[in-house]
Amino acid sequence: MKLMVRSNEWISNRQWDMSPVPQALILELLNHAVWAPNHRNREPWRFIYISRNNTGGLDFIQAQAPGYLIITMNNENDANKQNENLAAVFCLIQNFRLLAWEQKLGANVCFYEWMYDRRNCQQLGVMDKERIVAVLEVGFCNESSAVVPTSSAAVLNWRSL
Amino acid sequence: MQLEQLIRERRSIRKYNNLPVSQDLIIKLLQQAERLCSYDGEARWRYVYVGTPEARERLADYMVEKLQDNKIVKLVLSKVTDALHKRVLEVPASLIVIAKTDSNPIIHDQTYGAVCRIMQNLQLLGWEERIGMVWITDPMIQNERFYKRIGLQEGERFVGIVQMGYFDKAPKGRSRTPAERNWTEFVWNER
Ligand SMILES: Cc1cc2nc3c(=O)[nH]c(=O)nc-3n(C[C@H](O)[C@H](O)[C@H](O)COP(=O)(O)O)c2cc1C
Repeated sequence: MKLMVRSNEWISNRQWDMSPVPQALILELLNHAVWAPNHRNREPWRFIYISRNNTGGLDFIQAQAPGYLIITMNNENDANKQNENLAAVFCLIQNFRLLAWEQKLGANVCFYEWMYDRRNCQQLGVMDKERIVAVLEVGFCNESSAVVPTSSAAVLNWRSL
Repeated sequence: MQLEQLIRERRSIRKYNNLPVSQDLIIKLLQQAERLCSYDGEARWRYVYVGTPEARERLADYMVEKLQDNKIVKLVLSKVTDALHKRVLEVPASLIVIAKTDSNPIIHDQTYGAVCRIMQNLQLLGWEERIGMVWITDPMIQNERFYKRIGLQEGERFVGIVQMGYFDKAPKGRSRTPAERNWTEFVWNER
């Protein structure tokens, strides 16, 4: 089905089917997602995966999803490069979400205060020259869970130069 | 086309043919790009479209303006700036993308993330229609003068310009590093 005619029904947020998500599937999807545009092929991303049963000592994570895919990025001193890298990572995240959805796998893009705390980053093995860009909470969606269309986006904020 | 194939085969396109791009089509693609993003709250970004010959001329002027400021550059590199101006002028359509900033880092990053994800959707949707695009963030245009020209307001940031047009040839993609090489599983050990 063309992306143009795909519906915008995303499976409702936290209605997870709690079965674990096979890592092989996540890696398979990521290997497509890395074809995101990224300037000068810097491929600034790195992935840290935590399944729910491994969140034990991480009290800042509320283990509500079957899996947490943490996407980190190399920091750049140059502000423009930093923004380009961030943008590339978000393109990868969007690729991943589109692909996951076809597998009935939900991937919520989450931002938490703890992502910005160095101590938490260190606990996760995020290095000093890296930052967390977003946390994808992943899990298969319950058949019974409500399907909600989000962001109807009817009116664009658009003008001409 | 399968989604995997679309994602892998999309290329950044920098050279276009002369087929005109319809503004209505771009609006349709952009609406679908926003729908497929699913973000919380209201849209905190906006678009400035450059499609008419006059607007294209203006954008080309703005993009090289800063370079011409410098007398030496103007003298020595006039050929380069002229070539650049011409290249920009040849781009059938451009979309200037602007997002709101925020003092709260979460909202700030969320907003930028959503608009970047919309841009990726747009590039994929364009590819399905054989419209090639490239996201431009050249340092040359990232200056106050240019921002003023495009009407960037206080509390806003420049996200980029997406250039677009139909094309005859796509370049070959540069391979990507397998995800496995950038993958770590976090395992909790009871100590
Ligand atoms: C945020 C961002 C900024 C970019 N800026 C530029 C740019 O200023 N000039 C350019 O020619 N390409 C730019 N690109 C395109 C990349 O160079 C391109 O994605 C990369 O070479 C990989 O090629 P592909 O998109 O065909 O896979 C940008 C891409 C992204 C995501």
